[in-house]
Amino acid sequence: MRLVRHLVRTPEGAIGLAILATLVLVALFAPVLSPGDPLRIAGRALLPPFADPAFPLGTDRLGRDVLAGILHGTRTSLAVGLAAALAAIAIGLCVGLTAGFAGGLVDEGLMRVVDAFQIVPSFLLALAFVSVIGASVPVVVLAIALGAWADPARLTRAQVLSIRERDYVASARVIGMHPAEIALREILPNALPPVLALSAIIVAAAILTEAALSFLGLGDPNVVTWGSMIAEGRNILRSSPSLSIFPGIALVVTVVGVYLFSEGLTKALAGRRLEP
Amino acid sequence: MTIANPSRRTLLQAGGLLLASTALPTFTLAQAAPAGGRLVVAADSEPKNLNPAIVASNGVFFIASKVVEPLAEASFDGKDGLAPRLATSWEGSADGKSVTFKLREGVKWHDGKPFTSADVAYSALAIWKPLQNLGRLVFANLETVETPDATTAVFKFSKPTPLQLIRNALPVVSSVVPKHLYEGTDIATNPANVKLVGTGPFKLTEYKPGEYYRLTRNADYWGKGEPKLDEIIFRVLPDRAGAGAALEAEEIQLAAFSAVPLTDLARISKVPGIKVISKGYEALTYQLVVEINHRRKELADVKVRQAIAHAIDRKFVVDTIFLGYAAASTGPVPKNAPEFYDASVPTYAFDTAKANALLDEAGYKKGANGTRFSLKLRPAPYFNETKQFGDYLRQALAAVGIDAQLVNADAAAHQKAVYTDHDFDLAIGPPVFRGDPAISTTILVQSGIPAGVPFSNQGGYENKELDGIIAKASETIDTAARTELYKQFQKVVATDLPLINVAEWGFITVARDTVQNVSNNPRWAVSNWSDTALKS
Amino acid sequence: MNRAIRLIRRRAISSIPVLLIVVVLTFLLLESASGDAVDAYLLSIGGGDATVAQSLRQAYGLDQSMFARLWLYVSSLARFDLGWSVAFGRPVIDLILERLPNTLLLMGSATALSFGFGSALGIVAGSKPESVRDRALSTGSLILYAIPSFWLGLVLSIIFAVQLRWLPTSGIETIASGKTGLARAMDIARHLVLPVAALALIYMALFLRVMRSGMAEVWTLDFVLFARSKGLSRFRVVLHHVARNALLPLVTMLGLQSAAMLGGSVVIESIFAIPGFGRLAQEAVGGRDAPLLMGIIVVSAVLVICVNLIIDLVYAALDPRVGASERGT
Repeated sequence: MRLVRHLVRTPEGAIGLAILATLVLVALFAPVLSPGDPLRIAGRALLPPFADPAFPLGTDRLGRDVLAGILHGTRTSLAVGLAAALAAIAIGLCVGLTAGFAGGLVDEGLMRVVDAFQIVPSFLLALAFVSVIGASVPVVVLAIALGAWADPARLTRAQVLSIRERDYVASARVIGMHPAEIALREILPNALPPVLALSAIIVAAAILTEAALSFLGLGDPNVVTWGSMIAEGRNILRSSPSLSIFPGIALVVTVVGVYLFSEGLTKALAGRRLEP
Repeated sequence: MTIANPSRRTLLQAGGLLLASTALPTFTLAQAAPAGGRLVVAADSEPKNLNPAIVASNGVFFIASKVVEPLAEASFDGKDGLAPRLATSWEGSADGKSVTFKLREGVKWHDGKPFTSADVAYSALAIWKPLQNLGRLVFANLETVETPDATTAVFKFSKPTPLQLIRNALPVVSSVVPKHLYEGTDIATNPANVKLVGTGPFKLTEYKPGEYYRLTRNADYWGKGEPKLDEIIFRVLPDRAGAGAALEAEEIQLAAFSAVPLTDLARISKVPGIKVISKGYEALTYQLVVEINHRRKELADVKVRQAIAHAIDRKFVVDTIFLGYAAASTGPVPKNAPEFYDASVPTYAFDTAKANALLDEAGYKKGANGTRFSLKLRPAPYFNETKQFGDYLRQALAAVGIDAQLVNADAAAHQKAVYTDHDFDLAIGPPVFRGDPAISTTILVQSGIPAGVPFSNQGGYENKELDGIIAKASETIDTAARTELYKQFQKVVATDLPLINVAEWGFITVARDTVQNVSNNPRWAVSNWSDTALKS
Repeated sequence: MNRAIRLIRRRAISSIPVLLIVVVLTFLLLESASGDAVDAYLLSIGGGDATVAQSLRQAYGLDQSMFARLWLYVSSLARFDLGWSVAFGRPVIDLILERLPNTLLLMGSATALSFGFGSALGIVAGSKPESVRDRALSTGSLILYAIPSFWLGLVLSIIFAVQLRWLPTSGIETIASGKTGLARAMDIARHLVLPVAALALIYMALFLRVMRSGMAEVWTLDFVLFARSKGLSRFRVVLHHVARNALLPLVTMLGLQSAAMLGGSVVIESIFAIPGFGRLAQEAVGGRDAPLLMGIIVVSAVLVICVNLIIDLVYAALDPRVGASERGT
């Protein structure tokens, strides 16, 4: 709780938290704010924005409500971003802990695998993965996670290596704690903060990657995403630019919110460490 | 063993190096050129095999038809709708077992050798019949081609073959290639498939992969005073939005096959100096079709298929997806094929209530959440319109209680899934009607087609009556009787719904006003452009 | 110098297993694809029957087992032979050498510009932390970094290429212009302005922030306070003491971003129709062309390894504290 107070004291953290909280609320209440299937054809095609009160942001090529798309798109973008980040961190933590603790050949082998995933451009990897396996939300999440897990793994391992030698770990070993218990109870809580700070970056990158994949036509066609909205609006960018502009703004606001939150979090954590 | 056969590899490598050299051309265009000019056209694909004799598809014709010519080309006002090219006349025998072509004299290949009937005979027997996707059907019964002299070729068939069919197919299946470059080689990997040699008004001079194709004037072309242009550049622009922008910025002068998206047409037609032309695609009618997998129990019931047909608002499709640049279909033959079209077939008006009633009758009641059953829907990724129709169909089916799950796949995966693995319930495809139902339309509903053939009946549909009509029509020589059979064909298809025809559309050409003689034949974009000129 | 050579040798040796893992994983990925290269090729020529497919597969060795093919590929790779592309009908190395320079030009210019402007603006921002200037630049860079590059590319294209007609809409040079030397270089430069701008603006934001935060940290350290108390001019303090030390994390960032940039070029190349590496990768996947895709990934991997190696050498030169033992990875 003290962490949250620290967070809110920084201007970045406050604004970031506000933006994210709004987005989460929108995502949760989207079906209430805009009932019905957002992909259904609701009105006349290509209505301009701010013209018809029933469609405040206008309609797209097929007559779908742009506002409904933006609201429901929040769910997909946030869900994909969070899920991909969670998956990436989970995989990274497992690999990092194992490598850091086991040492020796296992460590070497795992680190080479980490190198391999860090060297391949992550967008190319996601592109190839989704093209080959087929585009659906779980596949997109996995594709993004595969490109993102290497950094958390490396970071976790570094933390493990440095914490491993500290006094309280040595005392735990003397007491006779099981290595796995030591890992979970002593090392993990101390290794987590830097990884968590990284997670915000991963979420933001995941959201942008998902948008880029949808833009290239590799998104899940059964859900509405901001990236696919921009892609659809691209052909009529000259005559109806609003179709691409609104989802673009939504993307920017979301990513800015995530970054601000992450900056605030970093400052708050740093502040906490300096405190006695 | 190595990865590729060494000798073939060397052959291909040599050809590849010649063609794809990144050395710059050593001339400059600032030289005073005669009033011919250079036409820059948008191209959205780079076909792997440019030989139209093997690959009779529009993507290949767009570029190759300027270099390799057919026996005859489609025409608005020629006899039988044809204008002579390499053949000057054609006549069928009374028993329908032979067709005599009189060939043009004084024609030379781009490498200087003379064009003779031997080239036609070779192309027909070694390429069109065994290798070409469409020729395999049209020339299925071709036995031999006699060449009594250098300008006569007599096609002999084992069974009576209707002249009407051969005539309608000529512009598409009869591209002639030089025997002296293909005989004795492995045709499929011959470098002349990319470095084309033909008789056409333009030669393929340069191909820079990923960038452009450069065609230059054939000074020895048989057409007097033709070609009018000096050069054609096909600029590779895979991005649709790029074509419109390039046209406005005067970087290109012509965009065919609706390279400029339909949504931009209203705006771009108002730009001074640009014209929008919808003529010129009458013989290239694309059909928006819902392909049905009859192996699925629900879809095997004709009531369900009728319900789906009733659930589709064709007016919405034509007005909103095609922005009016299309027409609602009534059956497998489009309206702009007056030779065969029959309007008196059962139609399915947009009626959600009727659709719901039919589904209830068929025994598929709505569940608690309003869904009767679920289907896998695969829209073909080749056109924006097929993808958008997929989005629309999903909503239209949801309105009658059918939950359609869309699957997004790239071209290779889509083709394999639908036509080989049969992993679909409904698919949306854009087959082409090529002037005669027997060329590429009957195969959509005929039974017995092996798996792996694209744009054919892979839904497991079998109708003996329909198969009978198709077989009989392929052998009926009398034009009137044949036409009557195809009218019956349309009635059976519209009644039993092996597939659902939704709309038919041609494409739009957008060109700068300086380009003349645009769209002056029903297949203009894929014809040889010998009379296309640039006003200076 | 010895240190450098030892670092290079060590890096080269440890890269081999990494490259092997990359190749195997890419191979396995394409194996799980629906359809192989022959299917895709036949599709592009309008279909073919089973016998044609069979003979093509035999010619390209695609009818062999998975392990046999993988072994064949890896052993060719060991001889620096990248194989044959079924989709394009040409050697993979030719395709790569044709397309890579365009992407390198694009990425190189974008990196250089973003690094230069980003560091400069970062110094401006970081020289007076928490000032109005600093806040403005920080906020601006945050928003800029959040903009998707494809969206920025589209908007720039609409404004500058279509509306204003100042710059070309697409391509890498004017077709068959016959230009050589300086004229050609200027032509290519004109074509690259928009795509480079779309990428550079976004990465500039990143470098700006890293430089700024690096400076903010260094600013409070002892040796800086000492320099200021000595009465050195603000300008000297900023440039010689603070910036140089803040440069280190920036250089590290450069290395980390190199992989991201190679991947990020795909979308920009698609929008501006630049015949580059990224688009080649897209075409390789669409054509299910395993040798081509693996060739592309291997070459990218090698490039990234080289860039990281150079970065490490530069790092070692900049920071004398980096000792004989390799930094813990």
